[in-house]
Amino acid sequence: MVEPWVVRQWTYRAGFTVICLIALFISLLPLEVGTGRWPGPDFMLAFAFAWVLRRPAYVPIYLVAIMLLISDFVFMRPPGLWAGLGVIALEFLRGREGMSRDMPFLVEWASIAGVMFGLAVVYRVCLAIFMVDQTSFGLVILQQISTLIAYPFVVLLSVMAMGVTKISAAEADMIGRSR
Amino acid sequence: MAKDTGTSEGYTRPLRRLLSAMLILVLFGIFILWRIDSPRVERIRAQLVDQVVPSFEWALVPVTKAADMIENFQSYTRIYEQNQELRRELRQMQAWKEAALQLEQKNATLLDLNNVRLDPKYTFITGVVLADSGSPFRQSVLLNIGARDGLMDGWATMDGIGLVGRISGLGENTARVMLLTDSSSRLPVTIQPSGQRAILSGDNTARPPLDFIESPELIRPGDRVVSSGDGGVFPHGLVIGQVALGADRRLRVVLAADYERLDYLRVLRSLSSEQIVDPGSLIVPPEPILIPEEPVSEVENDTAGVESDNG
Repeated sequence: MVEPWVVRQWTYRAGFTVICLIALFISLLPLEVGTGRWPGPDFMLAFAFAWVLRRPAYVPIYLVAIMLLISDFVFMRPPGLWAGLGVIALEFLRGREGMSRDMPFLVEWASIAGVMFGLAVVYRVCLAIFMVDQTSFGLVILQQISTLIAYPFVVLLSVMAMGVTKISAAEADMIGRSR
Repeated sequence: MAKDTGTSEGYTRPLRRLLSAMLILVLFGIFILWRIDSPRVERIRAQLVDQVVPSFEWALVPVTKAADMIENFQSYTRIYEQNQELRRELRQMQAWKEAALQLEQKNATLLDLNNVRLDPKYTFITGVVLADSGSPFRQSVLLNIGARDGLMDGWATMDGIGLVGRISGLGENTARVMLLTDSSSRLPVTIQPSGQRAILSGDNTARPPLDFIESPELIRPGDRVVSSGDGGVFPHGLVIGQVALGADRRLRVVLAADYERLDYLRVLRSLSSEQIVDPGSLIVPPEPILIPEEPVSEVENDTAGVESDNG
């Protein structure tokens, strides 16, 4: 007999995989070949961060690592680096999940902003250390900004449409016991 | 019960941490492996893309077409102005067509007079654009033809009018075209009519700048830019675009290829041509009859020829 929370958890994990594949698919569409555009948001990271601050069990580290690694390979990024840093950021946020339960949204947003820009800076520094040629810093920052702008909508979508709400005190008690 | 979960957490948490750390190490390991042995990992990447992207193809093509249709539909709203504009352009084009026909005839007669032979080997294969690079930092597109169709790395790719990029990364069924605007793209070009040589270096903007120009004062905005064929990368004389003066006072190139609508691309088969490696053998007669002893640095072929002549 499978317990209902186990089914829920695996459903959401499958849902996260589907969201990642859709994000991959959309950014692969050859609609906007060319340059000089405002880079689109990184939905994969935005969803991973939004969910890990609400239901850490829905975004296991292996799933996110595999998804980020695939996107590294497909988007012609140096493979492994962005995935590794993304996973570290995810684990950092996972550690703060307990604290963020009664945090107002603005504070959460600010902490996500800090993590995002930190991620971009560390990524650039790593690339510089390994002497990989890189593109303009402005573009990287613009992408992080657009991810941040998209973040509230991602949260809204997760909470309203998908039911990924923050863990309430009563639920925390229950999950804590069942784990 | 509570005690029980406490002990199980006591076991799982350090284990979990260890596994996470190992996972992160594996990811960084992949990165370092890529840095050390880039070609091998890039080959793996090409194979992976070859597997992943065609499985999306059934959805990629209809969605792209639908989006294009919506875009076209939007343009119906100003159809009258467009019609007028097209008529005007058509009139101009007819004048140009006349001029082109005359020039073609003139060119044909001149070629005939000079007995010039054009290289007959430049045939092309046409492919459909499947996907773009998906990242704003990389300018490339993926074609639905690959090593199976005889493509090779480094071949030039054009749309109907101008040069688009080069093949860089081959799978069995797909090939990646690095566009001229990619920040790692460098291409030797000639600027007509002054004949100046320069390097077109992509910098992730729509109008790549020209570098290493010998005398920039000879170049005017509006000059034509064609590939120079230096370095044997591309054939000579493929149209690239026109020179323009950028907002940052650098000379940039407005590309002739329509990067907004890359649908079908043709890949030029450029089979490796004969290389002239030894300049001396062109000038010096093959059998130095007047010199009694053979120079030490003579090519083996030549000595063999002399020996067989003697014997």
